[in-house]
Amino acid sequence: MNEFDQAYLVPDGTDLQGIKDALEARCRIGEDEPRHLLRRFHDTFDWSLYLAGGVLEERIDGHQRVMMWRDLNDEVPVLACELDRDLGFAADLPPGPDTERLARLLGIRRLLPLLDVHSRILTWRLLNEDDKTIARLELEQNRYDDKARERQGPISTRLRLHAVKGYEADFRDTARLLNEELGLSLVRTELLLEALASAGRKPGDYSSQLNFRLDPDRRADATTKEILLHLLNTIEVNVPGTRDNLDSEFLHDLRVAVRRTRSALTQIKDVFAPDVVEQYKDAFGWIGEFTGPVRDLDVYLLDFNAYQACLPEPLRPHLEPLRDFIHAHYGEEQKNLVEHLDSKRFRDLLRDWRAFLEAPVPESSVVPNAMRPVMAVANDRIWTMYRRVRKEGRAMTPASPAEDMHELRKSCKKLRYLIEFFDSLYPKQEVRQLVKLLKVLLDNLGKFQDLAVQADHLREMAQRMRDEDRASTDTLLTMGILVGDLLEHQHRAREEFAEIFAGFDSDEHQGLFKSLFDAQKRQGKGA
Amino acid sequence: MKIIASYNIKGGVGKTATAVNLAYLSAREGYRTLIWDLDPQGAATYYFRVKPKVKGGTKALVSGHQDLDDLVKGTDFERLDLLPADFSYRNMDLLLEDNKRPTKQLQKLLAPMAIAYDYVFLDCPPSISLVSENVFRASHALLVPMIPTTLSARTLAQLQDFLEGHDGLGKTNLMPFFSMVDRRKHLHLHLMESLPQSFPSFLKTSIPYATEVERMGITRMPLPAYAPSSNPVTRAYEALWQEIKAGIKGSAMWATAG
Repeated sequence: MNEFDQAYLVPDGTDLQGIKDALEARCRIGEDEPRHLLRRFHDTFDWSLYLAGGVLEERIDGHQRVMMWRDLNDEVPVLACELDRDLGFAADLPPGPDTERLARLLGIRRLLPLLDVHSRILTWRLLNEDDKTIARLELEQNRYDDKARERQGPISTRLRLHAVKGYEADFRDTARLLNEELGLSLVRTELLLEALASAGRKPGDYSSQLNFRLDPDRRADATTKEILLHLLNTIEVNVPGTRDNLDSEFLHDLRVAVRRTRSALTQIKDVFAPDVVEQYKDAFGWIGEFTGPVRDLDVYLLDFNAYQACLPEPLRPHLEPLRDFIHAHYGEEQKNLVEHLDSKRFRDLLRDWRAFLEAPVPESSVVPNAMRPVMAVANDRIWTMYRRVRKEGRAMTPASPAEDMHELRKSCKKLRYLIEFFDSLYPKQEVRQLVKLLKVLLDNLGKFQDLAVQADHLREMAQRMRDEDRASTDTLLTMGILVGDLLEHQHRAREEFAEIFAGFDSDEHQGLFKSLFDAQKRQGKGA
Repeated sequence: MKIIASYNIKGGVGKTATAVNLAYLSAREGYRTLIWDLDPQGAATYYFRVKPKVKGGTKALVSGHQDLDDLVKGTDFERLDLLPADFSYRNMDLLLEDNKRPTKQLQKLLAPMAIAYDYVFLDCPPSISLVSENVFRASHALLVPMIPTTLSARTLAQLQDFLEGHDGLGKTNLMPFFSMVDRRKHLHLHLMESLPQSFPSFLKTSIPYATEVERMGITRMPLPAYAPSSNPVTRAYEALWQEIKAGIKGSAMWATAG
């Protein structure tokens, strides 16, 4: 809040006429017609603006429509500009250096309306002997309206005092009167946070990251249910945004949660009955399958500019028919995806899965790991998987077939997911270091595989475009150059593998894995 | 930041009404606007109900000891600020004289205001003096409101001679326009037809004579703030403002100044 712009909280039941009378005892007051202000707050689904300490408001005040980006608890905007369009993606923002910063925060996510605050504003102008306005007071009676959840209600009334330039002494006098004589205190809560709290919402309550706080001594089956329940929540919460295709991250997060679910089911071994594992492994595999085609198209669209950039300038326009082709098929694939999401099979699957996860674990279980402390199971599983990664990685030679690289990648992913599920059981810093290490290795393996898949897919699309008569010779040739470029990058990734794996498999890192996860060593230490 | 001066050698031609009403329209349109009342009589200051007083007087201001921004007063209208008049402005010529580059002092004082304002309006005192020369050099547009009379035509010619006779002033973006026009007077109509032929930069919009404008002294606010757009004079000021804005954008000075 700026020094000459202050907001006071007006407690419920305050005598508003009493405030006006006290002011009128000092000076004449001019009263403007009451006006209505609508503040519509926006953020991305994963709260990127809130987490960066910011608030984005769309203000509709009479005929004016303004976008304001400001810090939490600060009325002075970092950015304020007229708005002549609807807010959405970074590319839809009005251009300018400040909007670029905002755009970076949004990334590929879409701005979505959080909720509205409607204010009825009564302006009192404090006048001097010439009837000149020397300070302004705005009595703001507020209501929140959370349309999506159909909740609304009053929130605190605020009295805002604004200085008029050149009349700062009058501002200070008025501030003293409000504070000392009328006992009003400055507002301490951000309007958005108050409105969210009243609507029963918690800012920052969604993140695609895992953040468990597990009890090492708790039964492994109960803990695994806790992990899976969190993943199920992530899947469910991303369904509406995926359905409406608000941005590509909804589907992406949904798919990651599905992959993690399958990984937890199959990699946290012997905690559930085998038939449960089989049934749901297949069921979640089905979700992975029917969500794949739209994700593939999303990846192309997200990478499209990068594809173009790696082509020589004169060839770039020839790639546009590919973009058109992707767009043309997108609707069809999205429709198919929505049909699956709306299907009884999908609904029943999530419902039954939730029922299973929410049911208490049996008092006793014959499944070997079910009743063991989760710490012991986590150690076993991570240590076994680490040794598998090490073995597969060490066996890799420049002549090894691509399938071996794929297998290694799968093992690495399993290891990474296991470490991420259980990271709260281990020292934070060390675990973070290992995950970082795995990310580097996975990045290399991912490049190798994904680039080959993309090259294959591009060839396939070229064929389809030709069949549908949607590609000129120039376009097909340009796509050929792109395929060549992708394969070139893939080749480079293969060459870099040995060095990256050697870094992963250093003595230091081996020691770290052993000290954290090797149960025998830990027991030897008395751990 | 673009600087627009409202100037005429003659008094009583509607200079202050021009500056006040156009500044108001500029702010209403969303531009951060400042009006500087350079006339020691302080009519613009009076219209905005501000006391005609500047801390330290002209001396502190011209010497640069007083930040211009610290002297600015907010008006009752959003985005519109005023730098008030002070009776000591009558001595501004003498004080400007004491400076190294006496004709560019105003330009220098205004330069730091570019951060805070999009448009600055200068309401100038009548007469031709060192202050006026400062105004000519600082402005992107020199508005010259004139009543369509023979004497007015003479003063416009005098002004043009002055500008052409001084280095660097020949390219001043001169924008004369008719003010206080009474269409019942034959002479007014005649001059309105003939004069623009000798001065091609004459603006097309003219402001009619109306008692509504004189009421500014009673209401103490800009005309469009109390007379809606349905009022022909308000409409004329609105049209004038649009024409001036377009004229500034197209002028040669646009590229170098501002």
